[in-house]
Amino acid sequence: MAKVETSDRMMYQFTTPGHKIKFMRKHWPLYVLSIPGIIFFLIFRYIPMFGSVIAFQDYNIFKGIRGSSWVGLDQFKRMLEYAEFLPILKNTILIGLYDLCFAFPVPIILALLLNELRIMAYKRIVQTVVYMPHFLSWVIVGGVVVGVLSPSTGIVNHLLSMFGIEPIYFLGENSYIRSILIGSGIWKDSGWGTIIYLAAIAGINPDLYEAAQMDGASRFRQVASITVPCILPTIVILFLLQIGNFLDFGFERVFVFLNPLNSENGEIIDTYVYRAGLVDRQYSYTTAIGLFKSIVGLALIMIGNKFSKKVTGDGLY
Amino acid sequence: MKKWIGMGLSLVLAMGLMAGCAGNKPEDQKPANQKPDNGGEQQPDSGKKEPVEFSLLLPTTVSSGYHTRVPDLNKDKWVLKLEELTGTDLDIKVMEDAKFGVMFASNDIPDVVGSIGGPGSKSMSGSVESGIFMPLDDLLKEHAPNLMKLIPKAAWETVSYEGKIYGIPEFLKSPSRRATYIRTDLLEKTGLQAPTTVDEFLNVLRAFKELGVETPYQMRENFKYADIILGAFDVLPYKDQFELADGQVVPKFFDTDNMQKALETYKTMYEEGLIPKEFATISSTDFTKSIDAGKPGIWSQNASGLPGYRTNVRNAVPDAQIDIIPSPKGPEGKGGYFYYSPVVRTFYINKNVDEARAAEIVKFFDWMVTPEAEEFFTFGIEGDTYTKDASGLVTYKFPVTKEQQEEEGWRSGTIWAVHDATYNKLRLDLNEDGKATLAAFDDVLSQEGLPGIGFYPELSSFSKYPDLAAPSPDVGPKLIIDHMVKMIYGKEPISDWPKVIEEYKSKGGDEIIKEATERWNNKQGAVRIDIE
Repeated sequence: MAKVETSDRMMYQFTTPGHKIKFMRKHWPLYVLSIPGIIFFLIFRYIPMFGSVIAFQDYNIFKGIRGSSWVGLDQFKRMLEYAEFLPILKNTILIGLYDLCFAFPVPIILALLLNELRIMAYKRIVQTVVYMPHFLSWVIVGGVVVGVLSPSTGIVNHLLSMFGIEPIYFLGENSYIRSILIGSGIWKDSGWGTIIYLAAIAGINPDLYEAAQMDGASRFRQVASITVPCILPTIVILFLLQIGNFLDFGFERVFVFLNPLNSENGEIIDTYVYRAGLVDRQYSYTTAIGLFKSIVGLALIMIGNKFSKKVTGDGLY
Repeated sequence: MKKWIGMGLSLVLAMGLMAGCAGNKPEDQKPANQKPDNGGEQQPDSGKKEPVEFSLLLPTTVSSGYHTRVPDLNKDKWVLKLEELTGTDLDIKVMEDAKFGVMFASNDIPDVVGSIGGPGSKSMSGSVESGIFMPLDDLLKEHAPNLMKLIPKAAWETVSYEGKIYGIPEFLKSPSRRATYIRTDLLEKTGLQAPTTVDEFLNVLRAFKELGVETPYQMRENFKYADIILGAFDVLPYKDQFELADGQVVPKFFDTDNMQKALETYKTMYEEGLIPKEFATISSTDFTKSIDAGKPGIWSQNASGLPGYRTNVRNAVPDAQIDIIPSPKGPEGKGGYFYYSPVVRTFYINKNVDEARAAEIVKFFDWMVTPEAEEFFTFGIEGDTYTKDASGLVTYKFPVTKEQQEEEGWRSGTIWAVHDATYNKLRLDLNEDGKATLAAFDDVLSQEGLPGIGFYPELSSFSKYPDLAAPSPDVGPKLIIDHMVKMIYGKEPISDWPKVIEEYKSKGGDEIIKEATERWNNKQGAVRIDIE
């Protein structure tokens, strides 16, 4: 089994500082290469983090961080007191969970299927076609989905009517909205998600397959016993990252589908933050919500990582 | 060898990153040291006088249109001409209203900021209250005689804060703007008269439906431009539609009886198929497309759109005849749409602008209401977009394509910052459709519409309870709209409306009413919007 041990990773112990400097000198191009990345993270990831302090203020953009008054945990209190907060949190968690259960495995299956295609040209065409929707913006995808699902002009209801089923107003029902959200996400992004798995599959040593063929393993058996175990580390890492983004389902992809008839099941934290924060310009309040989300994300990723280390022996860190 | 390539690449990357970060800076200084190369040679009038330089931010609500097609707005032909006529050197920027918050946060504020609505609008982010802009009372008195004469008092009140005028408004002399459109050719086929009451309105819609009209009345999400019934029963849930009831200032939807009747009417329309079944997801794009394709029999829109509709709908249905009719009246004899706030856009001057320049800027806006300006903004450049014969009769090249229409919109809408925006009489007088529009304004719109109480600056309790605040002047609060839509779709009983009011009150509505009543009683920025 291709179980990845932590000891696979390069670990250097330096006995003296001189040794370390020598090592760095030897590999200096790698260090130079890392500079842009480090600068990027410093400027765009670490420095903006200090901005989160406005979650504890009553922030006024004209007074700035230094001039605004401190209010402690008031913004967090307000968030918890908001009557709709629990339903919104519930929606966010449920939609995140559905996304994890239904949307996450799709690219893996798609990649496995694509990998089995024999005719190269056909494989390339299919790959390109399934990538395509990724490059459409959510506004366009939203427009297309709303059109397709329309009760009067949509093709879905047209097909249903051929079977004598009354037109269904899919976007006007609380019960459909989550499926629409997940479904449109699968359509848009699962093709794109296959790239990384296809790359992992391409990296598998062909000797393994040859040996399996010698032993008379069927195609299916080869997939189950070679391909899947070999890409398992990739799957685990992506799964953990996905858990970290659990509450970040994304604003646009929900916003384009929301209306008064489905917002009860469809409104998530991101869309609420948009409404309260950007439309109503409540910077502190929405930063507090964002901070809450990040902390939940961090906790989830830590739990997931621990769990994964126990089960598969591999984790993010 | 490879190492060198690696290092070279990463150095280039690192440098590029730094350059990219530093690149933002010089832009701040650009307006100051920018050479007046544009239009420098074509300034016969201003002679030796240096053109006044200032940056001007114009607001828009759309992310498309003429201004997005012009590569450099400061070299746009209309901007150059405007500079020539006014002796200015403008640095024009156009920004979507929704992005103003970002601009203020970055603290890169132009010399003149134009924004949609008054000083208390959300896009201004409290900047007027924070003293970012200068009070203009003295400058206006001294340098803007035309504006002082022309702009109505309610408009000046709307752009004032703590008794001082902070902005120059693009104003409306008549607050009644929206109208009921009907396809007269279809109406004639039904043999009915134009509807005058809600019941007659429903009958006409039913007759349209029998005729095979796809959409008898054109609905739209959130009741935007689909509020004809809410108007007839006088229960519009908008932010400038508060009213006095038992000594308190309350939103009009507190009138349970009329609200329930209005909802029943919409429900009837929904059940009988007089409005699209999916109206909760009909966007503004779908709405416009449907009207342009000639699908609806009756719809609600701004009266100024009449010439446009006549042209566009006739492209789809050649024998369409479109007219504006008086809106159907409710049981109390009221009808029509909400009265607009008298201020459309407001232009503020940055407090860092020195007084001499500020005076010139005020003069620049004052010029915009002169006959010379009117002619330029309306017709463009003589010999280019219009000709004038000896008697002064104007022959105007009317825009035909969408691009030309957008260009006209840019010239006589966007860059014509300050003027009476009710209608453009010069332009409308030129042809039949225009004259019909003028007639609609004078004979129909002046007779209908719904006054209300509005707050400028906005009630502070609104920002505390985003679900109870109207997101824009013609959309109701989310909480209210959600219940209304659910009731029309039969997901909640209409008899539950009193519960909705209770919910509104308990979720913060009590505080809103208290603040509204106090401000009304103390006359603090509470404006009654009505026909003068």
